[in-house]
Amino acid sequence: MKTNNYWYIILCIVALATMSSCEPSAPSQDSIFMTEAQVAEYTKDGQIYHLNDFLDTYMTEKGNYASDSSQYRTRSVDSNYPDIYLFSIDTLPTNGPAIYIRGRIATDDFAGNYYKSIVIQEIVNGDQQNLRLSVDLGSAGGMYPMGQEILIRCNGLAIGRYANQPQLCMPTYNNNLYASHADEKVGWAPGRIPSAMFRNATRFVGKPDVNLLQYDLIDLKDLYDLIPQTPAITVAGMDEVRKLDGRLVVITDAYFSGEYSDYGDLKPCTTGNPEDDKNANVFGPTTGNIGYPQGRFIRSVTDNTKVLTVSTSEYAKYAAYYLPGADTTGVAHCKDWHGTVAGILGWYMDNAGDFPGSSKDSKNENIKSYKLNWAVTPRGIPGIGVADIYMENADGEEWVPQEYDPKVYVTE
Amino acid sequence: MKHYLSLMFALVMSLTALAQTSLKGRVIDEATQQPVVGAKVTLANQNISTTTNASGEFSLLYLEATDEDVIIEADGYVAAIELISLKADSPNELDAISLQQDIVAQTQDEILLNLTEEEMTDDEGRSQSQASSSSASTDVFNSTTSFAWSTVRYRNRGYQSNVENYYIEGLNFSTAERGSFNFSAMGGLNDASRYKEVLNPMEATNFTFGGIGQSTNYLMGASRYAQGWKVGVAGTNRNYKARVNATYASGVLSNGWAFAAQLAFRFSPYIDQKNIIGEGIQYYSLGYFFTAEKVWENKRLRLITFGAPTLRGQNAAVTQEAYDLTGSIYYNPYWGYQNGKVRNSRNVQSYDPTIIAAFDYDIDEQQKIKVAAGYHFSFYSNSAINFYNAPDPRPDYYRNMPSYYWDGQIANPNSEKGGANQLFDENGNHYPWGLFIGEDASTGQHYMGSGFVGHDGNLVGPSVDETAYNHLVDIWQARDNKTTQIDWENLYAANYANNANNPNASARYILERRHNDIHEAIANFNYTNTKYDHLKMTAGLEGKVSQGVHYKTIDDLLGGNQWIDIDAFADRDMKELASNTGYTQEDIRLVVQNDLYHPDKAIKTGQRFGYDYRINMDKVKAWFQNEWSFNEVDVYYALAVEYSNMQRVTSMFNGRQAYLATLAYGRGTMWKYLGDNSQQYQTVRPFYYGNTHHFVEPAFKAGVIYKINGRNRLKLNALAETRAPYARDAYISQRIHDRVLDEIYVHDKATNLKEFYAASEKVVSGDLTYEFNYPIVRGRVTGFFTQSWNGTELNGYYDDEARTFVNQALSEIDKRYMGVEAAIAVKLGTYFTLTGVASVGDYRYTSNATSITSAENGMPMTQDLVTQEHVFEVRDKVLLKGLHISTGPQANASLKLSFFHPKMWFADVTVSYHDWNYLSVAPSRRMQGLYTGMRTDGHAVNGWFGDSYANAIMTTDGRELEVTVDNDANSPTFGQAIYQNAVLDANGVPVLKYPYNLMTQQESLVATNPLNRFIIDASVGKLLYLPNRQSLSINLSVSNLTNNTHFKTGGYQQARLPRAVRQQQPDNQNSVITANAWKYPSKYYYAWGVNFFLSVTYKF
Repeated sequence: MKTNNYWYIILCIVALATMSSCEPSAPSQDSIFMTEAQVAEYTKDGQIYHLNDFLDTYMTEKGNYASDSSQYRTRSVDSNYPDIYLFSIDTLPTNGPAIYIRGRIATDDFAGNYYKSIVIQEIVNGDQQNLRLSVDLGSAGGMYPMGQEILIRCNGLAIGRYANQPQLCMPTYNNNLYASHADEKVGWAPGRIPSAMFRNATRFVGKPDVNLLQYDLIDLKDLYDLIPQTPAITVAGMDEVRKLDGRLVVITDAYFSGEYSDYGDLKPCTTGNPEDDKNANVFGPTTGNIGYPQGRFIRSVTDNTKVLTVSTSEYAKYAAYYLPGADTTGVAHCKDWHGTVAGILGWYMDNAGDFPGSSKDSKNENIKSYKLNWAVTPRGIPGIGVADIYMENADGEEWVPQEYDPKVYVTE
Repeated sequence: MKHYLSLMFALVMSLTALAQTSLKGRVIDEATQQPVVGAKVTLANQNISTTTNASGEFSLLYLEATDEDVIIEADGYVAAIELISLKADSPNELDAISLQQDIVAQTQDEILLNLTEEEMTDDEGRSQSQASSSSASTDVFNSTTSFAWSTVRYRNRGYQSNVENYYIEGLNFSTAERGSFNFSAMGGLNDASRYKEVLNPMEATNFTFGGIGQSTNYLMGASRYAQGWKVGVAGTNRNYKARVNATYASGVLSNGWAFAAQLAFRFSPYIDQKNIIGEGIQYYSLGYFFTAEKVWENKRLRLITFGAPTLRGQNAAVTQEAYDLTGSIYYNPYWGYQNGKVRNSRNVQSYDPTIIAAFDYDIDEQQKIKVAAGYHFSFYSNSAINFYNAPDPRPDYYRNMPSYYWDGQIANPNSEKGGANQLFDENGNHYPWGLFIGEDASTGQHYMGSGFVGHDGNLVGPSVDETAYNHLVDIWQARDNKTTQIDWENLYAANYANNANNPNASARYILERRHNDIHEAIANFNYTNTKYDHLKMTAGLEGKVSQGVHYKTIDDLLGGNQWIDIDAFADRDMKELASNTGYTQEDIRLVVQNDLYHPDKAIKTGQRFGYDYRINMDKVKAWFQNEWSFNEVDVYYALAVEYSNMQRVTSMFNGRQAYLATLAYGRGTMWKYLGDNSQQYQTVRPFYYGNTHHFVEPAFKAGVIYKINGRNRLKLNALAETRAPYARDAYISQRIHDRVLDEIYVHDKATNLKEFYAASEKVVSGDLTYEFNYPIVRGRVTGFFTQSWNGTELNGYYDDEARTFVNQALSEIDKRYMGVEAAIAVKLGTYFTLTGVASVGDYRYTSNATSITSAENGMPMTQDLVTQEHVFEVRDKVLLKGLHISTGPQANASLKLSFFHPKMWFADVTVSYHDWNYLSVAPSRRMQGLYTGMRTDGHAVNGWFGDSYANAIMTTDGRELEVTVDNDANSPTFGQAIYQNAVLDANGVPVLKYPYNLMTQQESLVATNPLNRFIIDASVGKLLYLPNRQSLSINLSVSNLTNNTHFKTGGYQQARLPRAVRQQQPDNQNSVITANAWKYPSKYYYAWGVNFFLSVTYKF
């Protein structure tokens, strides 16, 4: 055999041996999570706005996307208050100086009570500033986990108000003609940012740390007094409540009253079957896949006239869990369990008012239509993702979540 | 006395020999002067043939004394014809016949081997493999079509690859589990696989019973290889970019031993360039082959080993939208950048170390025995990204495409809005993605729908504005790396962040490796007897013990700390699991486990997880064949009987298996999920054994050859057989439990309950061939017909209605294949040959199929509206009747002009036309319930039809949808009206908004522009003879010379279907909004554009 042939064979074997090491090395964590210095360098082409400043700068009362309110969802404006837009869209310039915002993610979608919605929190002068991000990304928590600070380049996106709640968004046309009150809903509204655009706009700042999230520890009756139940129907009045949206709160001194809302009216839950609409004593009975969140009420232990809605999606993993104290016999024991409820503060607000938790009064539509339906939206319960509800009874026993038991409630 | 008699006998025999007309000769390689082993020598006029022995010698006895054309054909050589006038009653002898190497055919064989190996497989397990035969085959049709039509994934007679029979030295190498042959085992070993017997379907064979497909037997004895060295290099722009190889053969040494060996290395590193063939693909393969053979006078012993450890990236079929947005048919979503370098997520690792021992023994002149045994390991695995509670990372996932934000407006081609703005692709088909821009009548602003259709035909749903849509399109057209490719760094980021939040949690993303290994022990015994005049008897016994081994390991944690071994779908759906069964959270924690014996196991790199089971299969086949040969007629028949069995054994006991068994316990069918060990499933044991299923399959074939004269003949073949289902199709969810198709024989030992149904596929087939063979012109015309009944098939997909991954097991599939294939080769003077081939087929489903659909995570599929019981397996009729089987172009024709100059110049150019190519239909989209609202098991689709009943028939032969209604008074509109081609449900809304064409017609893949149906290939080669029997050959083969990038070779409908949604109307009535059938559009494969293969080979 000639020498050349030996070299040839050796070459082949060496090449084979290298087969398993053909993949690039793993990216370093330093290259993924930006430091403050890197943030400063990265944002040199523009300005980082505090969240409230960002809203003040770019969110107008009527939005720049449509010339008049008729192009938005028709519910956005009540004829009695033509200057008050509950739905609006302001597009942000694609070109020009970069517009940045940053915030720490305060939500988690693992338990299913948040879906394609992220709330970020920025601490400015020791206080929370918050903004909702509407992103078309399922299981977003896998990529954008709670506690992760993100930097967003907002150029080309939009800021809008959906039921007066500010959110980073994209203009979306809703032409769902088959929804209830469809004639009032069709039109432009803030919608979800396509995932590709969101990913391209976002950078990670540091590693996630949920301990850096700040929350308002507050008694329910104090919170009730803090949040305007009937805000002044003026631009300033709307702005006042808007600034409260998205706050991470831990509400103390609360108990589940065993009530739900039926067109704004409080009614007692009577069954333990989550397949029964509305009146089941679980967190989120079915809506028949329509998908609106269900409200269950908490009241203040020390002042039971102060109430707040706890909002749960029927798609949440814990939707079929009994309210604390509830069981197959009903809700009689709910009042025996006191404790805290954590979550994101918000509301639903439009001028129709027939959503759960609203306070519709058919005799006086105009006044009731702007009553806020304040709600706190937990991120989960113990055992199902993030634990946001803690209750105990007079004996000091901790509430253990119990799931609806189909062996008891067998549908005939 | 004894010596005297012997002497007399010898004398008589010698005189006899002297008195007869005979011919002998020797065939050698012109370049090397080495003998050519296995060359076929045929006397054209008398239609007698033989093959050369290890010395290249042949002899023919009992000939007619006449003028004869002696045709000599051998793999890798140009056929030669010698004219001889045979003298009566005397031995005739030819001088050594020199064969010239056909370097074009040799190169094409190598390309073909590579093409076959690189069959593309997508998420749903569909493959684009094509039957492979040698371009060096002596059959004009096969030798032309095998290479020229491989570009467009032509399949012989439309058959799936599992009806082709592949043998090595008489050993059956088609796997028992899938029936396929792994060409990767011989990756790049073109010399090792050079010599083979290729037999047309149903013809009499001498190494196996055969079947309706071609039978190929690779012959690897060392004595076949000419003595000397051969080294070569090649370059190509295909998936691998370069190849180097070396072959050495000793020839038959004086001691009777012969040795041969080959090494072949093919490679391509990652190339950071988009829009090229093999985009994002790495390729490394080192093939080795060694054979030793000892030749005695009447015996041969061969020892063979080969293997080709291979690492190769894969590419994917994608939607037309992705092709158009990226502007390239080579767009590959499987790769992305990591640290600035290319990385593919789908890497196949395969290695098939094989050892074979074969022994031939000529008992005497009339009796021959062949015995062979082999052991074959097949290590095959493919990597893929898995994820848990995190966004789908696939760049071409439908929610990542611009159409997701846009696709509604063309859902209704008949609508006023859609109708005015429909766009069609180049094949005249609707784009499965929309370009229609809706208009808000009040503002004039543009908008897009998101894919839902209301009961009055309006398109509904939210959609982004045009600016956003255009921005998304721009991102795609610019091939943004983070959007159009896998964003590896984001996957790492998710895991790093997850580690920080909870270091003990399951990684968000991993790269897993799915192993499908096979271990096979194979044996074969073959006996041939020609003792009786005109009769050749052959008998064989084949045995195979094999085990398919299936499990997953972690290739790369992608920065994560560990992966927790639970089922992500079951975990996500735990709420429903609890609601349906009353399971406690503790129960659920067990149900989601993949391995109940090791709950919540933290898996690290390299460890097994997910599933770990084996399919044990035994197979024994006995056959015999009698062939009578007379002057005018040859007749043969053959009988075979095969026994096989299969058994699933798992070392991981799955939580869903226990869960389903528990549910089935009350119905007395627990054993269906648990097999033989129903009462023992809670016992920790190393392996868990399922039921053993047995099959007995008879087969018969017969044929007759009528020799009109020496140059013209008619052949008629017929075959009837039954075929056991392959293991991959027999289990309805084999990763989870032991449940098999209803039709399969089951014996429950616990209760002694036996169930037997005929599960096997029944096949009848026949063909009629006219064959002619003149010095100037030769060829054949064949008509064929095959009908099969009761076939089985398994598909898996994500079901939007059940909201989980489901398996759909089909049975009672009837198919018909019929057509004509023709070939003619005409010698045009000294240098040119013109070859024409054509194949026109009609391959269709001739029945509707039945299906069982069940959720892989054990979730119920629906709820019985009367009993309120949850239904875990839904049964329905699948409306396949009349549809084309998607099996490559069914109308094909080629014209090939070949040039051969005695100074060893070769060239050819082939022009091919292809037509009648159809999209593969997803059975899930053709379930009867979608059109009637009611499945055949009585359960309603989407579960809201109350107790209505309907009988609907949809014919696919014509274009009309026929619905007959047997309805009750409660829902008078149900099923009665067809609203824009969709059957209405009880609420008067369409069950599924299927565009008319999609529902009643099968999508054609054929280009609208006839010019785009042509593919032109060309080759040129030169063989240089050098001193001292050395030679140098150079060959360039160019495929698709005109760079036709509009040729769809195949494609399939996505099985996933959108679900309808309900909305509540103000009057508290449900309104149903049906989803757009285009939401999950079809995916396509394109033929490569111009590609070349340049090789240089030096022999010394």
